[in-house]
Amino acid sequence: MLIYTINRILHMIPVLFVLTVVVFLFMQMLPGDVIDTLIGDEEAEDPETRALLMKEYGLDQPIYVQYGVWIGKVFQGDFGKSLITRRPVSLELFESIPATVYLAIVGISLSILIAVPLGSIAAVKRNTPTDYAAQVTSLIGISIPEFWFAIMCVLLFSLYLGWLPSSGYMSPFEDFGQSIKYLILPAAAVGFRQAAYTTRLTRSSMLDEMNKEYVDTARSLGFSEKKVIYKYILRNAMIPTITISGLQLANLLGGTVVLETIFAWPGIGQAIYLAIIDRDYPLIQAGILVLGIIVVVVNLLVDLLYRVLNPRVALN
Amino acid sequence: MSQDEDKSEVTEQSGQSRRQFMATTGAVAGAAALGVSGTAEAARKRHPKRGGTLRFSTRSDSRGLDGHRNYYYYVSHPLAATSMGMFDLDLKMNPKPGIAVEHTVSKDMKTYTFKLRQGATFHDGSPIDANSVKWNFDRIQNPKIGHSFTRSSIKDVNRVEIVDNSTIRCHLDNPSGVLIPSLTYYPVQFMSPNSAANADNHPIGAGPFKFVSWKKYDKTIVERNENWWETDDQGNALPYLDKIIGSPKKEDRVRLTALRTGEVDLIENMAYTDAVGFKKKYGDKFNTWDVPQVGTGYLGFNLKSGPFSYSNGAKGKMMRQAAAHAINHEAIHQAVFSGLSEKARGFYSKASPWFMPELERKYEYDPDKARFLLKKSGGMDEKLVLTSRDAYAYMHQTGEISHAMLTEAGFNISHEIHPYAVLKSKWKKGEYSIDSTANSYRPDPDRWFSANVISTSSNTKLRTGFNNPKADKLIIEAKATLEMSKRKELYQAVEEIVNEELPMIYTHFIPLTCAATQNLMGYEPAFNGPYSTQRAGIRTAYMA
Amino acid sequence: MSQIHLDGGGRKVGEIHVPTFNEHFLRYKVAFIDAVQELYKSKTAFIGGVMLVSLVIVLLGTPWLTEYDPTKPNYTAFLNPPNAEHIMGTDRYGRDIFSRVLWGGRRLVAIALAAVVFGMAIGIPYGVLSGYYGGLADSVSMRVVDGLLAFPGILLYLLIVTLAREYHLEGFWNDLILVFALGFAFFPEVARLSRSSVLIEKQKEYVEASNTVGEASLYIAMRQILPNCMSPLIVNATVRLGYVILIIAALSFLGLGTPPPTPDWGSDLSSAREHMETHPLLAVFPGLAICYTVLAFNLFGDGLRDILDPRLSDR
Repeated sequence: MLIYTINRILHMIPVLFVLTVVVFLFMQMLPGDVIDTLIGDEEAEDPETRALLMKEYGLDQPIYVQYGVWIGKVFQGDFGKSLITRRPVSLELFESIPATVYLAIVGISLSILIAVPLGSIAAVKRNTPTDYAAQVTSLIGISIPEFWFAIMCVLLFSLYLGWLPSSGYMSPFEDFGQSIKYLILPAAAVGFRQAAYTTRLTRSSMLDEMNKEYVDTARSLGFSEKKVIYKYILRNAMIPTITISGLQLANLLGGTVVLETIFAWPGIGQAIYLAIIDRDYPLIQAGILVLGIIVVVVNLLVDLLYRVLNPRVALN
Repeated sequence: MSQDEDKSEVTEQSGQSRRQFMATTGAVAGAAALGVSGTAEAARKRHPKRGGTLRFSTRSDSRGLDGHRNYYYYVSHPLAATSMGMFDLDLKMNPKPGIAVEHTVSKDMKTYTFKLRQGATFHDGSPIDANSVKWNFDRIQNPKIGHSFTRSSIKDVNRVEIVDNSTIRCHLDNPSGVLIPSLTYYPVQFMSPNSAANADNHPIGAGPFKFVSWKKYDKTIVERNENWWETDDQGNALPYLDKIIGSPKKEDRVRLTALRTGEVDLIENMAYTDAVGFKKKYGDKFNTWDVPQVGTGYLGFNLKSGPFSYSNGAKGKMMRQAAAHAINHEAIHQAVFSGLSEKARGFYSKASPWFMPELERKYEYDPDKARFLLKKSGGMDEKLVLTSRDAYAYMHQTGEISHAMLTEAGFNISHEIHPYAVLKSKWKKGEYSIDSTANSYRPDPDRWFSANVISTSSNTKLRTGFNNPKADKLIIEAKATLEMSKRKELYQAVEEIVNEELPMIYTHFIPLTCAATQNLMGYEPAFNGPYSTQRAGIRTAYMA
Repeated sequence: MSQIHLDGGGRKVGEIHVPTFNEHFLRYKVAFIDAVQELYKSKTAFIGGVMLVSLVIVLLGTPWLTEYDPTKPNYTAFLNPPNAEHIMGTDRYGRDIFSRVLWGGRRLVAIALAAVVFGMAIGIPYGVLSGYYGGLADSVSMRVVDGLLAFPGILLYLLIVTLAREYHLEGFWNDLILVFALGFAFFPEVARLSRSSVLIEKQKEYVEASNTVGEASLYIAMRQILPNCMSPLIVNATVRLGYVILIIAALSFLGLGTPPPTPDWGSDLSSAREHMETHPLLAVFPGLAICYTVLAFNLFGDGLRDILDPRLSDR
């Protein structure tokens, strides 16, 4: 197990290397550069100003030198400064990542709360109208574009009913009650789609478990049906559900761009998206690197957890 | 006072009435009448009842905090309230004394002397004096720091001389009658020299509100500057508001919904489709204002290369004429602006003192003529590209509908929408035929004509590539003229050339509607953002 | 099929039969007929299939179903409500929404299909070869795939499509670039999946047997192993189609789609948002169209999985 873990951690290095190189190459290929953005459209720049600014930001160097300089600084924990705001990139990330993490965690938790009971009931009562209803609902859930769902929610709950704010963000440490109010709609939009996935997953892993031998054994030993379902089947079926939810959580960090735009949620997705438009290279690179690290670390943790919970999975 | 200088008599000598001079340059004499004492009283009287916190949702967020590096392009952003410049504006867009309370112009119009407001301070308490003003000029002019837009506003200024502690003198390279409007905020704004080191994180300005905090895409907080020098007509200190909380919401719809659900008190830039019905439907709950027109949309041609260009000679011009005949201004008016805009025949709208009522559009909508001219020019098969910018809906919507009209007239044209950085690289390489864009007003027309029409400006070179010696001459002449009516004649002559030669087709004046809850009192929307207009805008706003 | 089978190109290696391509084809033909029968049994697949077929019929029949040019404005019919002439009404430029929905759907489904096919076309050989050869080559190529998969959510799509979009080409070529971009963003997932299928398949006897008789490795990998791994890939692709459609719609919604006037569900939905209050139907039609299409693919994919991969189906 230890060797496996170390091996996996070592594997993360080339993965992150590829990630950063890919981002760097993309930045290089994107037409237009940050100097254009910085100079703006009122007055075109003269070549000297451009050269001056290119030098100031180190953009006059060949790409591999820029990459080397950047990666060297990253190892010292320095992500550089945003070219647009000129504030440290770490500050910009620190401001935007928590909002997204907050949204993703609440959204995922919400989805588990809905999906696990729904999926279990569907599995237990399989091939009954209840099951079909749950299946159809979850299928529709994964087929609805989340931005459309979000817009419709805003229309209904903010505009017509006036129950919830339509957009905006408040940190839970600032005012918890208010913060929850702002959170409900975006979290529902995240949670709805996730819940649909998780319901399907829970249902199928429940069915998987139900067909296993130990279930028959347990039954033959005279355990009540309730106990069999809740104590054994559900517990085992939860393993894949929880692990997949963990993976989804990491994925959501970059997947809420559209919802962040709709709800004016100041998260990392929107920050990276706008940085791409502005060609704010340091922010894009650091943002994707940090998210990438979160993804691979979460993947690893989930994987290890899965192995601990489910020792049948062989270590390779 | 030096030899070559002469107080405002200079205007009398050139036969201009005093009133005209004021309209042109925003003269000094208005200062006393405005109730501006010029000194910050020790005990400033606050209006006993007016105050409160305004929650204001703007379309955009600021790009950064250093006002010299980032002109606050959206002048309504609360950060713009933390800064101010040499001159303010009034509701008619005329310059009014700001940090400078008096000024004199030399006869050759190459030397300007400014008397600074006594006792005015930055937010950290340091004085706004000749030294700090000069420091600001110098910092803006540093190409590594000053944003090109800000820098170009004072590019004529060769050097700034400190005459005494409260007097500075600007020496210009060329005669200019337009320096005063260029020194209004924005873009020439001042910050405390003490804040330079930390300007990207905590700017210290001189405006009616003080910087508190800024969280990108989330929240901006500014609070009342209790030492602001302006007063209302009863002598109460302005501004009234205690605090402004700004929350940028990019989407028009999101902003409007936030207003309706009571999350914010004031929003700017309502979508045109909403603005039409909104007043009728919600007039009892919300106030709306049509902000004086602040921008003009136009389709700019690429005259540097390609079918429309000079290199295509008479055919190129004929194709431009065909395009002009193909554009149905009424359809754009309805489809893009929901009938709220004003069709443009020149750059300046009725709201501006520079509006030219006699100006005519040379090539009116006439699809048959468009087809005929296009056929005659043989440009049917030329592959053309219409570009528009992604940031503003009306730009690419105008692009979209113009594209349809041009296609209908027989042009072989495609449509592309790009962010600014990409557009700029396309302009440089000449990879476009027509660009759907808009430009917002400067108080003085020189800022438009000298940047976008004159052939020598880098912006003209980058974009249309228009080159008309006659127009150039007129623009240079107008710049060195003080008298407004004379200048207006000259600019009108330029506009006539533009409408004939078609480096661009003016389409519409961009309307702007803002709305607020009825709790917001005293607010009067103003050109150039709600912070830089004296006794108007947010400076006089308060919450009931 | 019998264990010992000498004709039809099949070879006998000891007692182990190595299936050939033709036999695979035959097997798939049988499986296909079975599948069609199964389709009737599986309600989800049946409903999904019917939805898909009707979708395809409508989209193929678009030129006959609507006479309106989706890009042509009508200056006298801005924002008409649904009526006899325009059954879904008109948009802000007076364009017929029904025709925009249909033509937009044709493009979207075609692009999504092509993108998934393209993603599979590079992802499958990549994954199969990597899995088959193993060793250093496998390690390196999988790290590349992992690196791309480490982009969270739709960020990789976002980045690639931003890039593709800004090298703007006209009409068809522009769509083709989008196909490459989306396909490229999709390929890491396919590569991973096909590699893991190969790893399972590699353990099987026939592969070892082929190795023993010294078949060219490439031949074994592509002609023998690959066909045996196809069914999970096909199931995945069907379900992924729905996902790719959602991604395209989301990117268009953000403004990264093909620029107007080209009809596009995502960007039409986005611009309909401006009219949310006054003309809410504008946002409803493209939204429903997306839901219907994605649901059709999901239902069908689900059913297909039940049929082709009984391990996962209800027992």
